[in-house]
Amino acid sequence: MNKGTGAGTGPTAAAAAAAAQKQKTMMQRVETDIANIVDNFTQLVNVARVNDPPVRNSQESFMMEMRAARMVQAADSLLKLVSELKQTAIFSGFASLNDHVEQRTTEFNQQAERTDRMLARIGEEAAASLKELESHYYSSAQRTHDTA
Amino acid sequence: MDGNLEISLDKLPIKRLESIEENGVERYPSDSSYDEKRVSLIRRIDFAWALEDDEERERKKRQKKSSKDASATWQWQSMVENLQLAHQELSVIIDLINTVDANDAVTVAGMTRPKPLLNEVLSDLAVSAATKLQCYRQLGKYFKQSAKALEEQIAREARFYGALIRLQQNWKVKRQRLASAASSSEGFIIDLFDNSLYDSAAMCRPSSLSTIRVDHDSAGMLAINLPPNSCRSLHFGFLGVHSADIPKELGKIRTRGSVEQCTREREKESVSDDEYIKETHTLLREVHQSIFDDQVFEMLNREAFNQSIGVNVTGIRENYLQLSIGQGNTLFISLVPSSKGDDQDAANTQDSESAIVPLDSFDNVKLEEGKHGTSKRKWGFPNRTSCEIYLQQIVHEHAFVKAKDKPNLSGTRVSGQSGKDGPGLLGHFCLSLAHRIFSNRVLVELENVVCRVPYLHLMTHPTWHSQTSSWTIFLKVPQSILHAESQSLKSDFQNMKDAVKSQFRTKVVVNDDRINVEGDGAPNVVSLFKRSSENISSVNKYECDLADLPVIILLQAASQVICWLHEEALMVGIKTNRDFLCLTFELEQGDTVSLVAHVNPEDIKGGITWWLVMEDGSTDDWKLQMDMYDGASEYRKFLGHLTLDVLYSTLMDLVSLCGGGRNH
Repeated sequence: MNKGTGAGTGPTAAAAAAAAQKQKTMMQRVETDIANIVDNFTQLVNVARVNDPPVRNSQESFMMEMRAARMVQAADSLLKLVSELKQTAIFSGFASLNDHVEQRTTEFNQQAERTDRMLARIGEEAAASLKELESHYYSSAQRTHDTA
Repeated sequence: MDGNLEISLDKLPIKRLESIEENGVERYPSDSSYDEKRVSLIRRIDFAWALEDDEERERKKRQKKSSKDASATWQWQSMVENLQLAHQELSVIIDLINTVDANDAVTVAGMTRPKPLLNEVLSDLAVSAATKLQCYRQLGKYFKQSAKALEEQIAREARFYGALIRLQQNWKVKRQRLASAASSSEGFIIDLFDNSLYDSAAMCRPSSLSTIRVDHDSAGMLAINLPPNSCRSLHFGFLGVHSADIPKELGKIRTRGSVEQCTREREKESVSDDEYIKETHTLLREVHQSIFDDQVFEMLNREAFNQSIGVNVTGIRENYLQLSIGQGNTLFISLVPSSKGDDQDAANTQDSESAIVPLDSFDNVKLEEGKHGTSKRKWGFPNRTSCEIYLQQIVHEHAFVKAKDKPNLSGTRVSGQSGKDGPGLLGHFCLSLAHRIFSNRVLVELENVVCRVPYLHLMTHPTWHSQTSSWTIFLKVPQSILHAESQSLKSDFQNMKDAVKSQFRTKVVVNDDRINVEGDGAPNVVSLFKRSSENISSVNKYECDLADLPVIILLQAASQVICWLHEEALMVGIKTNRDFLCLTFELEQGDTVSLVAHVNPEDIKGGITWWLVMEDGSTDDWKLQMDMYDGASEYRKFLGHLTLDVLYSTLMDLVSLCGGGRNH
């Protein structure tokens, strides 16, 4: 995700600053979610003790459900973060994309040239074959016999 | 309740004077509030009877125990007594609760919790522990379900983004915010529009298929859904030869059908991701081709509205363009939607195979030409597929590649709008096709001529030009004659250099629809007037029509034979006179014998026949001409179709008749 640390003015610097800010935001989200999961799990473990008043146990059961839901929500948030990172990788990997596009362009151009050469060679061979076949046909005994 | 019923009487609710003060103010007791009244009533409830009953029971119990210790006690007696006590307590409590329900205020003076017993404590603890354990188990199930759902979501996203990344290697993938406010998620589209090759002069509307939305299917994999019949393909054909309604190449149709079929099978998840991505690439490629075909057709439509050489629009409607390319040939270019299913593809396969006339098969032409004159015009049409490819290639090369290479190029070159600059793309295409059809017919005529004359050889010269075709007809002297000459001339090297030509050439060049015939060995006009036998190396060049071509070729060949015979006679020292198709030998006493060639293009056995004409030296020419027209003259003898060997032998006989040359 690091887009470089170029300083200065211009769109590149602005893009770098935006990327840094986005990275920071994502890191904060990650930390928040991880902390959320850890805290809730800690609380779940802490309420494992069986208390005397049954009312407290009921209260704790509701709390446990709530904390479990929060853990799952934090995990889902992390998953969304991963999706965002994948999208960023897809749409921001300009260097690799450009390299790949150039490579493909080169391959296609070479393939086009090879095809053109092949077509030219096929044409030449067809012309040569046609010439040979015509000379053989018109010199053949069958043709002279047919026309005789 | 047991015991006597006691009744307590309340005072009447009359306000009685309580006291009178010295000033005369009367004081009545204050009215008690409703709550105070209720409290007072509750306090009046006497529970002494219950306590007495309890004491009595205990007393009796002790008495019973003491009196009945020896006797056996009922095992459930204690439980019954406990239940009775509990019932009494419950009754009191129920009464209390009813009073509270009636909104009577109850003041609890004090309550002490009964000390729980050990078993009760443990049972409560056990229940709490079990409850908590159950809670944790439910949490465990919840976590497992959530984990499974998250894993599935991870797997789905991994497949989706993996496929998207692979698609991105070849296609332009963009993000698009969805319009619905409720959903804040992003959608993806694949942009197939190439905006780098359109300038202001040749601006085209982007196709509706230019942007394709990427969706998720039921399995989470990316899916590309296209509306049916949204893809169109270019369809080309010759009117009267090909049907305008036949869908395009079956290979492409089968590809699309197979893609759709595989898309349906995808629901069964039997196709691997790699294969699915390949199919998606194929589908996108077909859409890309469809967009290109749309662009090609639009460009052709725009050019059709501009007058240019070679373009003659005879019909136009939606997605259909009909052009006349001369000589009664008409072609059509249309956009047709892709077919719908494999069943229709199979049916269309048969229809298309029967409807499309076979290609450049000239063997059948020779068999048919004598029987069906109209079929002769049907044959010779170029391959429809090759024409489509050619059309796409020239549009791509001249409009797209050049536009990319030269971004500042004006629109005239790209679209060929002005007629002053020559034909545009469409005009060039029409002219090329017209030339191709015409040259095929020319070739048919040439082959018909060459097949009938044994000493003529046809050779094709590929020009690699779309509007030029070239052939050469060789008249070859047989090797047997050449060997005989070489043996007789082997001692004379100089003569060998001056030896007769072994072959004569007639070149036929077709430019668009103009036939140019160029052949050597024919006399020029000047020498004809001089009646001299000068060696003429001039070359005949002239244009002719298709109908006159066989005659011209035969005349050229016959004149070349005469020229050859003339040179052979000169070689052996015999003086001969050569006319256009006539070689005259002078005999003794002024008599002449002539070898005359007669050409007939309708002669199926051969186009050139030979006559031997003898002239008396005293006969005038005019009279000879009159005799020539007689029905049966003794001065003429029909020799028939002769090969070059026979002609050479005849020549030698005539030479010997003339008194021979130095070589006899």
